[in-house]
Amino acid sequence: MQTKIVSKNFEIPHAETLAVALQNGRYASLEKLFTFTPQELIDIIKASGLRGKGGGGAPAGAKWQLVSDFEGKKYLVVNADESEPGTFKDRQILAKDPHLLIEGMICTCYAIGSNTSYVYVRGEYEEFSNILQVAIDEAYEKNLLGIDAKYPVEITIHRGAGAYICGEKSALLESLEGNRGHPRLKPKSPEPEFYFGEPTLVNNVETIASVPFIVENGAEAYTACGTDCSPGTLLFAISGHVEKPGVYEAQFGVGMWDYIQELGGGVKGGKKLKAVIPGGASTPILPAHLVYEARLDYESLKTIGSALGTGGMIVLDEDASMVKALKNLLRFYHHESCGQCTPCREGTSWVDKTLDKFIAKTATHEDLEILKSVSKSMNGKTICVFAPAASGVIEGFLKHFESEFLECIQ
Amino acid sequence: MKIIVDNTPIECKEGELLINVLLNNGVEIPHFCYHQDLGADGNCRMCMVEIKGQKRPQVACDTFVCENLEVFTKTKSINEVKRSILELELLNHPVDCPICDQAGECKLQDYYMDFGLYNSHLTTPKTKKGKAIDLGSNVMLDQERCVLCTRCVRFTTNITKTNELGIIGRGDSSRVAVAPNRPLNNPYAMNVVELCPVGALTSKDFRFAQRVWFLDSVKSVCHGCSRGCNIHIDYNETKYSDEKVYRFRSRRNKQINQSFLCDYGRLSYRELNEKFNSTSWGMESFKELLRAEKKVALVSPSFSLQQLQAVKEFCKNYNIELFSLPYADESFGDDWLKTNDTSANFTGVKELNISTCQDKFNSFLESSELVVNFDHNLLKVKELENKKVISFTTSKIEIKCEAVFAIANFAHESGTIINCDGIRQDFYATKYRCEAPRLIELLEELQ
Amino acid sequence: MSFSFSEENNLKIASLMKRYPQKKALILPLLWMAQKQDGYISEDAMQVISEHSHMPYMHVYSVATFYTMFRLQKPTKRVIEVCRTLSCELRGSQEIKKHLLENYSDSYEIVEVECMGACSGAPMCTLDGKYLENLTPRLLDEVLNAN
Ligand SMILES: Cc1cc2nc3c(=O)[nH]c(=O)nc-3n(C[C@H](O)[C@H](O)[C@H](O)COP(=O)(O)O)c2cc1C
Ligand code: SF4
Ligand code: SF4
Ligand code: SF4
Ligand code: FES
Ligand code: FES
Repeated sequence: MQTKIVSKNFEIPHAETLAVALQNGRYASLEKLFTFTPQELIDIIKASGLRGKGGGGAPAGAKWQLVSDFEGKKYLVVNADESEPGTFKDRQILAKDPHLLIEGMICTCYAIGSNTSYVYVRGEYEEFSNILQVAIDEAYEKNLLGIDAKYPVEITIHRGAGAYICGEKSALLESLEGNRGHPRLKPKSPEPEFYFGEPTLVNNVETIASVPFIVENGAEAYTACGTDCSPGTLLFAISGHVEKPGVYEAQFGVGMWDYIQELGGGVKGGKKLKAVIPGGASTPILPAHLVYEARLDYESLKTIGSALGTGGMIVLDEDASMVKALKNLLRFYHHESCGQCTPCREGTSWVDKTLDKFIAKTATHEDLEILKSVSKSMNGKTICVFAPAASGVIEGFLKHFESEFLECIQ
Repeated sequence: MKIIVDNTPIECKEGELLINVLLNNGVEIPHFCYHQDLGADGNCRMCMVEIKGQKRPQVACDTFVCENLEVFTKTKSINEVKRSILELELLNHPVDCPICDQAGECKLQDYYMDFGLYNSHLTTPKTKKGKAIDLGSNVMLDQERCVLCTRCVRFTTNITKTNELGIIGRGDSSRVAVAPNRPLNNPYAMNVVELCPVGALTSKDFRFAQRVWFLDSVKSVCHGCSRGCNIHIDYNETKYSDEKVYRFRSRRNKQINQSFLCDYGRLSYRELNEKFNSTSWGMESFKELLRAEKKVALVSPSFSLQQLQAVKEFCKNYNIELFSLPYADESFGDDWLKTNDTSANFTGVKELNISTCQDKFNSFLESSELVVNFDHNLLKVKELENKKVISFTTSKIEIKCEAVFAIANFAHESGTIINCDGIRQDFYATKYRCEAPRLIELLEELQ
Repeated sequence: MSFSFSEENNLKIASLMKRYPQKKALILPLLWMAQKQDGYISEDAMQVISEHSHMPYMHVYSVATFYTMFRLQKPTKRVIEVCRTLSCELRGSQEIKKHLLENYSDSYEIVEVECMGACSGAPMCTLDGKYLENLTPRLLDEVLNAN
């Protein structure tokens, strides 16, 4: 069931060192790279249908084009903030195959015409950013990076310091500029991000790590995997109540339940499945009956009222308390709201506190109404989609598991 | 160019900020964080409007107008949106308006009255934050009342660039603060009190001094320096005492002071409440004095054009040589509002061709027997040898005089002054009369 | 001033400056550097950083308080962070937390944190920033007693 494109070298010992990486095909795409013009490359990426793997699934080619269309100084920023609960895939690339990321960054910089790039790594990943740093140093030494490289690229690692919201691309850039991680007001029409006023491409680690394969093997090799709208593979991850939690790369479109059973080893202790949060904490929960029919691609999860997100599945067994699970997630949102805009700052806090009453079984019907109305107030009125995501989480739980909440009412 | 707001066309310029267009045309649009002189920040989400063709409500402070934009500010659904945001805003806000200093001019209070949110249905514990924190420069902060609009922070960051205030913490523990041992300390600090849309920032000077709904207000101009910042004078008359001025508030003037005042000017209202004695004089003895052979007069460069004109005529009639000298304080001015010329109308003095030659004045002073001082500060403190002095004054005189006439200060006598940039501005008297007569009327009597 | 960056760090700062288009971007890296050097970020350190980055002190202070990993107080004990988010909770983080609080709160500062990106190794915690995954109380005892 696994299809290894990005994770091809994960099992190879010491693949993080340049020597082993080179033996295993790293930097091979560079030979082909320079036979294309930058625009040809962007067209290849467009043809491959590569979609952003940071949660949004935005077509990568179109984003590249936006940045490439600008003249002058441009930046590439790789988003390695990976803080979405249930998501731990980018970390594998940083630790197990950092040269794949570097290779992808060189390709991407060449395509969009940038020579300066950053990798924004969440602060907690110190171990992994250290591994990446060693790999970068090696690449500089061998002139794969730096001014003496065939195409000069500078890579700087920038460490976050404990703020989930810095994964949101504009907050990330604020943080990279030396500010608090406050998301920016959104533009009304498509435009790239800007770092210190210059056009900037922000892509997820895995998105960039998928590029060398496409450069090397062509767009068709990529579209041969996955579905029409979601081509290729994803480093799906699985955690919670399963036997074999972990990261297993698979093609888009595989069955969720098959994946859980085959790769995740099934529900832990042979218990029955109750629900799955399909793509990181921000995606609406799916009860078991929907899990059985769900396919792991953007479109099919959307049609059943959820989203693919980061592909990090959290499995809950028959004994899991949905009230506790929601409380756990909303405590997360309460803790991580940047606090900039009112509906989110106040709403996440209120919902979290209201859920305490459900946990204590002292809630009233009014509290349930509050949950619903605050959830509504957080949706569509904020600067970024953090609050709407929290709202979607609440709605998902109440839609499928309201009875458990009713049981907590005095 | 036109846009359509609630079915009414409004003229505006392409690319203007929608909220500005609404505010300039008197359309009610609730807002906390937007301020015409601080710009947009987009954090309060109160200025939501519906725009034809857009699925979701949009914030007016981040929408630029274009031809035939159709905006709705009062539909049922948009009111529902605003109500829900307001409700969230009120969650952690103390509901003790009766003891809040801002009551009566609090936007939060206004809005929740508008949206009918009398009983907040908060059923969980409120987030505790700091009360009565002394920020420095007479400013007190109550973090629990703060709606985190960041107006105060943007003022010290972008306008004064003194950077004392900032937001610290994250999420619902975000709060406005000064850094330890780095208090609010700049000559414009008290503006933040006025900028604060709620009762989170209050002035020690005004705190709990008076409930705002007992105050009357009149349009005036600060006389603290030649900038001529526009102000409201807030005053009242209580049953058992005289009228009292409680504060100056800025009055927006885009050309001069935007919405700001310096602290010196803001606090200069205190001088208007000073009490001092005048001597009572019969007309005859006054005229007797004026028969002196050599006479010189010095007039305050802060007098209004009308006052200066009256003084000029008076002096002409009595054959008194008239001068005015500037008030100059090299340490007062800065590169923003404050000017080294600390008189209110020196430009007016020059326009009326009143002599301002220091040497000439000195020599006239030398030879004069009688000196008439029209409220000039120079002659209030410096004792003059062998000369008779008549003083018309708005404040206490420290020197020996033959006669002292108390006159009404600028809160009680309307007039016009010209600021350092040649801008002519009218100011108005409060509606109560004070005991002291107005100069112009007094001089008429004395003619 | 009682804080200054070490010789070695000053060299690093000089080379970091070339990697960013504006000095302001140095704030996060330098906050990290100060924290590495002293174990926490003192007021004096923030003053030095404000000078390096050409930004007001308040800005540095405001930034430092936004990120939960920055410590503005000198730590008195070694730090154990326990992940409390869903995947860990589903696999017993409460038990780990209880065990830590009951047995180790005298010698360690025990803090709860949100998902550390180690959900496949749940429940997990960190010791001095190092990840310890697939924990059981017994395993925890072993590690902590060996350290
Ligand atoms: C609250 C929030 C958190 C996010 N966190 C991450 C993250 O940790 N990593 C990531 O790659 N993208 C994250 N994103 C998505 C980014 O904003 C952005 O879309 C992404 O990095 C773009 O890269 P991609 O197109 O390659 O996915 C987050 C978005 C939001 C709204
Ligand atoms: S929605 Fe929440 S996280 Fe996003 S900007 Fe507003 S307060 Fe910050
Ligand atoms: S103190 Fe007042 S002005 Fe400052 S952020 Fe709070 S509400 Fe706004
Ligand atoms: S700058 Fe001058 S006119 Fe303006 S408030 Fe200050 S003293 Fe008054
Ligand atoms: S005034 Fe528009 S969001 Fe605050
Ligand atoms: S939930 Fe604990 S590491 Fe992800």
